[in-house]
Amino acid sequence: MKKRFEVCPAAELPPGERTITDLNGISVGVFNVDGEYYALKNDCPHQRAPLCMGKVTGTTSVEHTGAINWEDNGHILRCPWHGWEFDIETGRSVFNPNKVRARSFETTVEPADEEPTESEADCSSIPDECDCGSSADEPPVATYDVTVEDEMVVVYL
Amino acid sequence: MTRRRTQRSTDGAPTLIDCDIHQRWKDESEVIQYLPDQYKDRGLQAPEILYDNVAEFSRRDAIPDDGSNPGSDIPKMKDQHLDEFGVDYAILTGNSYLNLTALPNDDYAAELAVASNKWAIDRWLSEGGPFVGSLLAAPQKPKRMAEMIRNLGQHPRVVQVVMPMAAQLPYGHEYYWPMYEAAEEMGLPIALHPYTEGHGVTRPPTGAGYPRTYFEWHTLLGTYAMGQLVSLVAEGVLPSFPDLDFVVVEGGLSWVPHFLWRMDKDWKALRAQVPYLEKPPSEYVKDQVRFTTQPIEEPDDPQHLLQILEMMNASETVMFASDYPHWDTDSPLYAIPPMPEEMEAGVMAGNAQELYGLPDDPASLPAK
Ligand code: FES
Repeated sequence: MKKRFEVCPAAELPPGERTITDLNGISVGVFNVDGEYYALKNDCPHQRAPLCMGKVTGTTSVEHTGAINWEDNGHILRCPWHGWEFDIETGRSVFNPNKVRARSFETTVEPADEEPTESEADCSSIPDECDCGSSADEPPVATYDVTVEDEMVVVYL
Repeated sequence: MTRRRTQRSTDGAPTLIDCDIHQRWKDESEVIQYLPDQYKDRGLQAPEILYDNVAEFSRRDAIPDDGSNPGSDIPKMKDQHLDEFGVDYAILTGNSYLNLTALPNDDYAAELAVASNKWAIDRWLSEGGPFVGSLLAAPQKPKRMAEMIRNLGQHPRVVQVVMPMAAQLPYGHEYYWPMYEAAEEMGLPIALHPYTEGHGVTRPPTGAGYPRTYFEWHTLLGTYAMGQLVSLVAEGVLPSFPDLDFVVVEGGLSWVPHFLWRMDKDWKALRAQVPYLEKPPSEYVKDQVRFTTQPIEEPDDPQHLLQILEMMNASETVMFASDYPHWDTDSPLYAIPPMPEEMEAGVMAGNAQELYGLPDDPASLPAK
């Protein structure tokens, strides 16, 4: 069964932002694209660069030579090394979507668990790499009514 | 594929030598202070590259925590690259500022080169450890550069001279020979590194002229190297300076077998034009020219690349390079195809150790 990891409160990851965190020893980038959350393994399928540190950008399409359109702005992640483009939503590469893919994980926004999750503990132990805002010192979220502020970005690995 | 080592060798010969690492200044003032007074006000000026790289120039993950230039922070470079991959020696090739040699004012260009070399020696080579480095030479001022090579080349951690891949005249021309004399005398190979193609007073970046995109400019880097190499052979530089070696950096290498075959074929018919060549041109190149791996070609079948490496006798002629921290960095672990053991040992370290005369233990090399 897939394991559930709370990454950070949804409010702390606004549209256009990303956070890179360690989940069970795996470096994972979590992205907010226009209000939807996506998670990719921080590991480029080409030469294993830290993919999720790349630029979030768009890409081009063409009507005819000489007329280039800009599209998918904010939906494309460009590897920080050789610049391969990946669709953040699916992990598929732009140049060969069926063969070349970054690993992606199921991501949701859900109420916080009553118990502190493993990922919170993990995050607090690697403060430099994780800006997810959680800390082991914080009390576990109790069973109050769930509001937007209480909702957590959750990744299933 | 056998997994390559990721630990710096603790004893015995080096196992990984990286032949193209770009160190950088945090601030131009670090270098400007070394300029002669008449140029201090002018600061550092160089022609900008004409082609925009949509994938950016340096790796984003190489930006130091303080936001300064990638390649300017020694701890970051060690942590992210040298220690991460177990690099025994980092051959520093300069500040990606080769374009300062593409200026029409040859005196200013030469003094910029001298200043940046003094900075590199004080700031980087005197760090010791894995760092050894290159003297940038502005080819438009050969006598001044020869003097510099004899002077700064005495530093124990200066291991080569680097010239821009593109200049005003092909490099076989006698105009440049004073530099070759100095480099041969000092036992320093001359590396050719791209960046100036089409900039300042150099020639267009491709034989076809000025292309429109970085894609074209970058794809054809090897063709510029071919132009320089055939000139070095045909004008007699290699036979005239038998103890001088050249290194082709960042031109890729899959073109090398084809290039050698063509020269040897033409030599059989056209030998009368180049009578100082006493053996087939390919033999001079195999003896006196080394090629670095990055950006390594990536055929769908890695065996095809291995065949090319065999054709060019890579066991003795090819040296690993990453180009850290630039956008097309090659990983020592994943970029290079599986190779037979002997070839791998030569490519990953042995050939560079021999060419640059590096001791097994980097710590035994003086830093001052
Ligand atoms: S490592 Fe990501 S594109 Fe090469």
